[in-house]
Amino acid sequence: MSAAKTMRQPFGLQLSANAFLAIWCLIAAFPLFWIMVMSFKVPVDAFASNPLEVVFGPETRAAGKGLSILDIVVGIAALFYIARLAVNWLPGMVARFSPGGQIWAGWIIGALAFGIAVVVFLFGLLPPVLGAVNGVLGPLGQPIIGLTTEHYSAVWVENAFYRNFLNSMLVTTGVVVISLTVGTLAGYGLARSGSDLAFWLLIIALIFRALPHSVLVAGYLPVFINSAEFLRPILGDAAPTLYGQPYAVIAVLVSINQPFTIWMLRSFFQNIPTELDEAARVDGCTHFQAFRWVIMPVMWPGVITTGLFSFLLAYNDLLVTSLLLDAQNQTMVPAIAGYFNRETTTTDQVEAVAAAVSIIAPLFLLVMVFQRQIVSGLTAGAVKG
Amino acid sequence: MIFKKLALAGAMALLSSAAYADCAFENTVPVKSISAGFEAWKAVTDAMAECGNVEAELDQEFRKKQPAAFAANPSLYQIGGVANGTLVPLLNEGTIRPLDDLVAAHGQNLTPNQLIKIDGEVMAVAMMVNTQHLMYRDDILSDLGIAVPTTYDEVLAAAAKIKEAGVVEYPLGGTFKTGWNLGEEFVNMYFGFADSMFADDSMPTINNENGVAALEMLKKLTEYMDPEYLVSDSTYVQQQFQQGKIAIANLWASRAGAMNDESESQVVGKVKMASAPAAKAGGRPASTIWWDGVVIAKNITDEEAEAAFKVAMEGLDEEMVTANNDIAVWLIPGYVPGDLAKGAADTAINGAVSYPASSQMGLMHTALGNGVADFLTGAKDAQTTLADIEAEYITAAKEAGLIQ
Amino acid sequence: MKFKTFAAFVGPSVFLMLLFIAAPLISVFVQGFYLTQPIYETVEVETCTPGFPTQTCVTETKTQPVIGEDGKIITETKYVGLESYRNLLEPDRALTALGNWDWGSLLTIDFWKALRFTLTFTLVTLPLVIGLGLAIAVVVNNTARLIRGPVIFVSLLPFIITPVIGALSIRWLFIGDGIMTAFLEWWLQRDIAMFAQGWTIELLMMFYRVWHVAPFAFVVFYAGLQTVNQDTLESAVIDGASRWERLRYVVIPHLMPLIIFIALIHLMDTYRAFEEIVGFSSQAYRISLQWLTYDLLVPDDSGNRAISRASASAMLTMIGIVILLVPLLRRTWRDHRGGSH
Repeated sequence: MSAAKTMRQPFGLQLSANAFLAIWCLIAAFPLFWIMVMSFKVPVDAFASNPLEVVFGPETRAAGKGLSILDIVVGIAALFYIARLAVNWLPGMVARFSPGGQIWAGWIIGALAFGIAVVVFLFGLLPPVLGAVNGVLGPLGQPIIGLTTEHYSAVWVENAFYRNFLNSMLVTTGVVVISLTVGTLAGYGLARSGSDLAFWLLIIALIFRALPHSVLVAGYLPVFINSAEFLRPILGDAAPTLYGQPYAVIAVLVSINQPFTIWMLRSFFQNIPTELDEAARVDGCTHFQAFRWVIMPVMWPGVITTGLFSFLLAYNDLLVTSLLLDAQNQTMVPAIAGYFNRETTTTDQVEAVAAAVSIIAPLFLLVMVFQRQIVSGLTAGAVKG
Repeated sequence: MIFKKLALAGAMALLSSAAYADCAFENTVPVKSISAGFEAWKAVTDAMAECGNVEAELDQEFRKKQPAAFAANPSLYQIGGVANGTLVPLLNEGTIRPLDDLVAAHGQNLTPNQLIKIDGEVMAVAMMVNTQHLMYRDDILSDLGIAVPTTYDEVLAAAAKIKEAGVVEYPLGGTFKTGWNLGEEFVNMYFGFADSMFADDSMPTINNENGVAALEMLKKLTEYMDPEYLVSDSTYVQQQFQQGKIAIANLWASRAGAMNDESESQVVGKVKMASAPAAKAGGRPASTIWWDGVVIAKNITDEEAEAAFKVAMEGLDEEMVTANNDIAVWLIPGYVPGDLAKGAADTAINGAVSYPASSQMGLMHTALGNGVADFLTGAKDAQTTLADIEAEYITAAKEAGLIQ
Repeated sequence: MKFKTFAAFVGPSVFLMLLFIAAPLISVFVQGFYLTQPIYETVEVETCTPGFPTQTCVTETKTQPVIGEDGKIITETKYVGLESYRNLLEPDRALTALGNWDWGSLLTIDFWKALRFTLTFTLVTLPLVIGLGLAIAVVVNNTARLIRGPVIFVSLLPFIITPVIGALSIRWLFIGDGIMTAFLEWWLQRDIAMFAQGWTIELLMMFYRVWHVAPFAFVVFYAGLQTVNQDTLESAVIDGASRWERLRYVVIPHLMPLIIFIALIHLMDTYRAFEEIVGFSSQAYRISLQWLTYDLLVPDDSGNRAISRASASAMLTMIGIVILLVPLLRRTWRDHRGGSH
């Protein structure tokens, strides 16, 4: 008890600690908050040098697009209840409807469905209702903060960004699934083999991890483009052109990500006592059976944490996807880079900002959902190697 | 709801393309194109798509992909969008086909000016020209009683006056972003002073009084610019114009339209166009002329080539130009040059050279783009800068086998 | 575990790494010693391009590659040894500059300029990332449970968002009259242009990197703090250890493996810095080794690329990172020895 009391911090320290945290959170969130604000304004406001003009958007308001006091009040209330729902109601629903034991799958589906429902509610249902009410209210219904969603509709509807979104989903899902399948096998093998070969494999993997990617990627391009010619002697007319194919990009991303994946999974496996698989082996399991039926069930925290890192890598990749995918299969990040390089107008730039916010929004959801997993996964011993 | 909206949008897109589908023929052969992604290409490829079975790729990485994709057998694309520079690798590798017979059969609407001929053979069909020329705030210049500058010395004098009057934050703007843009600025200026950058044996000849004069002129210009000029590309300069922060710049013709875009610009109607200034009095405009156009791949069947060419002709027809008159300086019949095109036309008429694209020029442009900044930041003097650029060029050219 | 079983387990992973990492790497390594050039011929060519009002045609001699019967350019490959490395390192100039203690002229050579920046960038951000990550982790760990969740959420954001977008979001705050620059100008009462000189851009790039990576260090350390032995801590308290002493003698030694882990990852990632150069367009002032390699590899308008020099630059980057990692690798080796034998 007395120890706990001495652990308690003096007021001054507490105050400065909290001030430090507040400043850090401000620095961490501000740039992202700011691009979100920019994405809702007309170009003149978005790039104004006076921050107040960016926040309140006089030009946007002058164009008749904005939020009234009522909108803001209702909006904040709606956001509050959505957050409440996400924290209190969603986990229960996920737990109830998840297929036995596979709670992570439930979370993915649940989070997606929830996200879509929120978007539909906030951008589809609310505006017309509030618009009607605002019309009746008179001065209270006048917009006070400029806000327009025109850039989002330009990005998602006119520029068909949903196609890039689907491509991103395809690539990331592929990368996560294959990366984990291949990685868990290798991680387990490396963790359970104390041989020098295993050690050197790990060291080589570490050096591969340090490689500059641009070197590898530039090497792929000519080979991928001409792959039909190279492979024809082996595969005949079925020889594919790898350039532009999502599965080729998945293979590349999986490989580039392997070093990190196997290191991380290896440390997880090392923390699982070897007695467990030895017992299974005594019961007559092969190595593989022991791996599949005894070890994997206790490995989920590690797999989820590693999977998240694979997801981030695939989702955020620019170098590989921009070079090796054609326009039809383009994922989101290279698509947004396209906005900046072409002969851009200021409107294009704000649309690019809107696209950027659209790209990071799912990541927000992801962290919200998996935050605890990340911390507990890492605590469970990801990083003891 | 959102899905309904999306579905609706998709249906609308289909409907509208059906409504616009006034292509003269129905294309049945699948055709793919790859090109840069600016407005003019978007307009052209949209018009091509009306014929059906056309997949257009407007790709930022097209410079890296195009030569390799055309060299594949069969070529991954039938139609390519090229400019002076990007035509070179395709010509060198022989991956595009001569178009004389196709032009004879389907090119009745083309003007002779559009046909890019190499040794008498038509290798590409140009659709537009682009060049950097003078844009200026007419209101500021006439308020201060400054005549439209025709040489860079006059530009500097005008800038000094504007600075003194203090009407804008920085009198000049410039696309001085390190890399391609800065290289292009030097090339423009250099050709205002001299005729060639190379001797007959591909050795560089820029380290002379012309090179020094060009560098020094660039540096004098930067004194009147936003100090962040080394990161300013054409979009940035365009924004500076639109927000009324600069008064004069030598900017791409394709950017002229944005000055009068009411949703972005605060200076609608106030920016006028003129010929690029000369580097020295009585000289030619210090600017180079670029063209953009289409090529057809060699490694495809004749049937595909014919379909591709016909589709391309639909993309380059009068209808497209009428609908998109102001987004570029078109070479296509039916184009009505407006006030905005005056700058580009005058620059050409006053004798600006066409950008002399070649393998050597490509290497030189890169060396310049990376090297000139050292002089502007004061890290090196003019002689050393030029000597280093030449050395860099020679290393690269030796590596490429251009110099023995 | 028998070798066969081991091979079966690691097989797929090793295969992928061999195919997509080792193979390109070896080809890059070999290319550094060879030079492949087309055979050129000089021809007189008339080129006609659009003009006003009519076409302009010029006849000039052009060097163009000879095309063989198979429709491809005839090339010859020759062994050049360390020539490409020499072209990149420019040892004569570098040595002269070093001999005269002329730091400035050494840094006019691209490779040395890139190396200087990459090293400074890596070594300056390393302690900052670890320090900041540790500080946030300790503070969060001691704060009320109620606010931990939101704070962790906000802290993770800079780490998980797409690097390009992160870099751009910071760039927009500072470029031209961006709001942060405007704020600084108002605060310091002077004109500021963050992108007009090298050191400010370098500062911004470092700021971005720390902002981006510190959250990762933070979660890892925070996870580590959950496993600190409470008994040890309490006995330290009973022994009268101050807060600082507890941190110094109990917590940090416990976190040491994690600190090394973060250092390792950070060294590897920062040494190949690339996004910053592109995101902040700092090429005029600061370039990194990977950017240099990339720049040599990207074809220019005319399709030229300096593959041999790029290979050399890639290899030198590799060697550099291995040297940086040696101390850490030796420690892993000792652990391995200790652990398995």
